[in-house]
Amino acid sequence: MWRYIKWGFRITLLLFVVGFFHYTLPQHDIVRITNTYNKQTPIGANWLFYSSGDSGTDTTVTDTIRDIRFIDAVYPDGESVMVYRNEDTGWIWPPYFKYDSSTLQAEATNLRSDKAAPEWVSVTHYGWRLPIFSIFPNAVAVNPVAGPDVSITPWVNIVVLTLLAFGLFMLRRMWMQFRERAIDPVVASAGETWDSVDATADAARDKARGVFGRFMAWLGTWSGKGR
Amino acid sequence: MTAIIRLLVFGFIALSVVYVLVSLYSRSVRREKLEKSWDTDPAREGAATADRDAYIKAGMTAYETGLRKKLIWLVYVLPAVTMGLIIYFVNWD
Repeated sequence: MWRYIKWGFRITLLLFVVGFFHYTLPQHDIVRITNTYNKQTPIGANWLFYSSGDSGTDTTVTDTIRDIRFIDAVYPDGESVMVYRNEDTGWIWPPYFKYDSSTLQAEATNLRSDKAAPEWVSVTHYGWRLPIFSIFPNAVAVNPVAGPDVSITPWVNIVVLTLLAFGLFMLRRMWMQFRERAIDPVVASAGETWDSVDATADAARDKARGVFGRFMAWLGTWSGKGR
Repeated sequence: MTAIIRLLVFGFIALSVVYVLVSLYSRSVRREKLEKSWDTDPAREGAATADRDAYIKAGMTAYETGLRKKLIWLVYVLPAVTMGLIIYFVNWD
């Protein structure tokens, strides 16, 4: 029972961490842009998946309805589609420091193409498309690419995850150093104190047992019982 | 505008915590290295404790004025440069 709870907790934590990075780190989609537009978007309980209200050029019409730029796109298979929002990110989180939504929208509009003469672009974005909660990935950059089969090396993710691993490794090294230099000596000296208390107690007990007790204890050593 | 100020203030506080931790760690590692180099040197077998203390003190004084300690300022510099690069690549490139 306890084992299941422990593993359940660990797996939940792992899923949370992986999900967090999957949401936050940039990804590239090779798509064809089909439409770009603005839409008055109601934001309610899903506010966490939109930019914070004070992040730059967003036109907040009311507290709950925001005018947001969107980019429609279709994947190379010609069927599956994706809708990106195009919002400034603000200055805290996620740390993209994006404030050029208008420019990005103009670039995306310029790269629109139809089925007959497709122009493939790589959309750098973060976030998820979850229709049930009306949340959209946020486009960060659009770049023309040679064709639909281009693959892009995720350098940013490689660098970020490497740095993160290095940071965790250093944190561990720092903790080990702290323990070795600051905690272990204290614990060791406490242990020595305890040992000396123990020795005094043994001596006192021996004394209290008297001659007969010591004799019986000596007999005991013959039978292998010890004292 | 307030968002940028908030970022700078909280970023500065967070990086200061990192700076303090890293400098404590670096100093501790240096002291341990000095202690070990003295303790494992056969020529100094049975030398006086006062000499050992003086040796370590001299080594730590050298550390305090050395390059390695100054490099810890990179804790502030590198994130600022990274932020500048991100701003450039996201908005200007």
